[in-house]
Amino acid sequence: MNLLLAATSGNWSLFLGRIHPLIVHLPIGILIIAFVLALAARSSRHTALKAALPLLLLAAFLSAVCSCVAGYLLSLDGGYDETLLDTHFYLGIAVAVISLVLYLLVKTSRLPRLHLPLFGVTLLLVSAAGHYGGSLTHGDDYLTQAMPPALQRLAGHKTAVATAAAYTTISDARVYEDLITPVLTTRCYGCHNAQKLKGGLRLETIALIRQGGEHGPVLKDSMPEESELYKRLILSENDEHRMPPKGKPQLSPQELELLYWWIAQGAPSGKTVKELGKTPRIQAVLAAMEPAAPMDHNEFVPEGNASAASGKSIQALEAKGVKVMPVATGSNYVSVSCINAAAFSDADMPLLHAIKDQLIWLDLSQTKITDAALPAIGQLQRLTRLELKQTAITGSNTAALNTCKELRYLNLAGSRLQATALAALQQNKKLQQLYLYQSGTDATAIRQLQQQLPKLKIDTGGYHLEKLASDTLIYKKAPAM
Amino acid sequence: MYEKLIREANEETLRYITRRHFLLDCVTGLGAAAMGSFLLGCGSSSKQQPAITGDPMAPRPPHFPGRAKSVIYLHMAGAPSQLELFDYKPELQKLHNQLCPQSLLEGKRFAFIRGVPKMLGPQAVFAQHGESRAWVSDHLPHFATMADEVSFLKAVQTDQFNHGPAQLLMQTGSARLGRPSIGSWVTYGLGSENSNLPGFVVLTSGGKTPDAGKSVWGSGFLPSVYQGVQCRTKGEPVLYLSDPDGMNRDMRKQTINAINEINRKEYEAFGDPETLARIAQYELAYKMQISVPDVMNINNEPEYIHEMYGTQPGRESFANNCLLARKLVEKGVRFVQLYDWGWDSHGTDENLAIDYGFRNKCREIDRPIAALLQDLKQRGLLDETLVVWGGEFGRTPMQENRDGKDTPFLGRDHHVEAFTMWMAGAGIKKGFSWGETDEIGYSAVKGKVAINDIHATILQQLGFDHEKLTYQFQGRPFRLTDVGGKVISPIIS
Repeated sequence: MNLLLAATSGNWSLFLGRIHPLIVHLPIGILIIAFVLALAARSSRHTALKAALPLLLLAAFLSAVCSCVAGYLLSLDGGYDETLLDTHFYLGIAVAVISLVLYLLVKTSRLPRLHLPLFGVTLLLVSAAGHYGGSLTHGDDYLTQAMPPALQRLAGHKTAVATAAAYTTISDARVYEDLITPVLTTRCYGCHNAQKLKGGLRLETIALIRQGGEHGPVLKDSMPEESELYKRLILSENDEHRMPPKGKPQLSPQELELLYWWIAQGAPSGKTVKELGKTPRIQAVLAAMEPAAPMDHNEFVPEGNASAASGKSIQALEAKGVKVMPVATGSNYVSVSCINAAAFSDADMPLLHAIKDQLIWLDLSQTKITDAALPAIGQLQRLTRLELKQTAITGSNTAALNTCKELRYLNLAGSRLQATALAALQQNKKLQQLYLYQSGTDATAIRQLQQQLPKLKIDTGGYHLEKLASDTLIYKKAPAM
Repeated sequence: MYEKLIREANEETLRYITRRHFLLDCVTGLGAAAMGSFLLGCGSSSKQQPAITGDPMAPRPPHFPGRAKSVIYLHMAGAPSQLELFDYKPELQKLHNQLCPQSLLEGKRFAFIRGVPKMLGPQAVFAQHGESRAWVSDHLPHFATMADEVSFLKAVQTDQFNHGPAQLLMQTGSARLGRPSIGSWVTYGLGSENSNLPGFVVLTSGGKTPDAGKSVWGSGFLPSVYQGVQCRTKGEPVLYLSDPDGMNRDMRKQTINAINEINRKEYEAFGDPETLARIAQYELAYKMQISVPDVMNINNEPEYIHEMYGTQPGRESFANNCLLARKLVEKGVRFVQLYDWGWDSHGTDENLAIDYGFRNKCREIDRPIAALLQDLKQRGLLDETLVVWGGEFGRTPMQENRDGKDTPFLGRDHHVEAFTMWMAGAGIKKGFSWGETDEIGYSAVKGKVAINDIHATILQQLGFDHEKLTYQFQGRPFRLTDVGGKVISPIIS
């Protein structure tokens, strides 16, 4: 072995080492086929197969030895997790040794009852060695990462929770924790982690980054151009010191800018974006990272969720032609529309009480309801939108709606209201929009309500467009003289 | 006769089975059967596809609570000139009649411009309107009063410079045939609120249907129940809907019941969603015999409403269609698509001249659109109705010189690099403008918007994540925005 090492110093040793992943599959395959043949040979029809076993086992032994040597040469290159490497190393040697034992036993036909159990042990050893080898090259979460969630649960593996942006505005984002760590996770951790310490460097925490690697520190505070952590990223692609190495996913220009800025700021941890000085260049990068406002926000839907409405009460409404719909997929809050139920009347109101905890949008337009329905509506205390267009409601008792404290939108267009109808609405403090087109309310009542609720938008409609002389003008080319 | 029908049906089925299905079935058939039993609850793509069982038009909830319940899309077929309406370019006036610089022509292709054309200054007088100080030309005096209600998109871009493909791209998200239109996607996602009316209605004016034909309101690979229903404003609203002479409504009902019974058995036997679509269509058609003539009748509207819109009952006009759009939305129709033809102002004749026909077209839409916005607003409908206005592309800052010769009238060629659209209502910012073009209105400079961004935004306001509203077809999930689309968040309030 010494001889071999001496002859293959320099690049030869690494070259032979890198053949390890190739030849390591030879003993695996040969041992499996030997095992299958040994099994088959137990039946009287295939006893002839026994003759092949010694040759196969010898081949397995020799290839296992070659794998071990190549593996050893590869390990000299360094950068692997020591404990994992040791386990893999000894398991590999064990495979070679047991192949030899098996070969000798089979060849000399001694202890025939031990052959099959020994085969079993060999295969277990091969599997274990293979698994640890895989963990060395791909990382120990290589398999579990790709596992379907159901299988992960089966395997007792904790599923990683997808983390949305942990900040609502970019200026509140923590620079190291929220912006730099994701870059390092996706671009660097693959090789610089506890298992695969390339260059003796780990980058998982700020302390480990500051510790540096076997070639010394990678950070020079506030000097990105002097820091290996940045310098190596901008080397030419063919430079052997370039990081990430050629062929691996590279950092985007924005990620480079982020890293540069962070190091220039002294590579702090726990600081937010607004606490650090900003150059125009990084400002452009940060602006592009501003998280979008949550797109599904709707002021007419309460936070959280309600308990589910009973199917029976929904069916009772649907039998009347009333449409009951969740306001969104997965939400228990419902909207109710009577667009297909023109016959809906005061007597049907109790049907709505069965879903009063869920009902937030109610449209009773063009139904047969009257003022008698208002107290019943008042019990629907979660309502945020209420449409009572073109009904017989006169608003003699609108005070009944005061219990709808969450009401934000009320549409009474086309329902002829009494002069007193509006006054009571001033108790609905959250009301934002009120539509009174063709409701016959007088200007004084509207003015008084507006004074009480200055933020309320009242629309009385009745818009018109001016008549313009040009409206009927037809542009034509003057006929030729 | 029957053989032909059966062959057609078989070919239709084959369209749905691709090579991928075949390979998939071979490879995974047995394995999947074994795996499926213990991998219950695995995320599968079928989850995102609303299961269509029973009534395909039954209302369904969106992904999240939407701001819009309905959409009115006003498509000016032929593409109006943004340079005479909204995109004010005083610099272009200074270059009027000068030869177009080579830098604007190199490497570009135009539909009709050849050689070196002259620049054409804005043929309109511009002023700023409302609190938002939005630039609107004197061609749209009534719309100008509503400028504070809309968000302008000044830098919309397309990649199709011919009407047909550009209209398809605008309405279906693809310049080639076969994709569902926006209205089809919306009714597929949300169903129809009113069980007596179609969920997707199309109204045309201007004497012609769009160049791309009826595919712009087709359902593509979606079940055909989701295609747009074209209603006419003159004569019978929907052709062949009324009972023929000698057949009364009861008899018609019995006929339909019998046909639907047969179709239901057919569905039980084959499970083809198209059969369900057919049953739903028969039932809807029967109900529409009553409901459509009612909703399509504008005679009952009060006089001041007619005055406001400038409607003339009994004629086919854009004004009538705008009033109808309001009525339809009020009745719970999800998607009302208007097409107005006649905006292709090349300057080849008087009707297609920037200085004549174009101005008359502006007169035809100005009052109705302003009235529509006001009318929706006073009824509280503008809060829940998204109004979209635009053409399929824009027009060049150069004067058209068809085949290198001057046209008899002033005209502009098709232009893909920048044009103006606007949106209003349903959570869109009021009195806002997004995007900028260069000083002569040739290229988009800031706030560029792609066609599928428009689609993403429409779906967003209806409560859909445009990346999740998908339909499985030929081995992969399809969506309206295909592989692009970004919600135009700056215009969302």
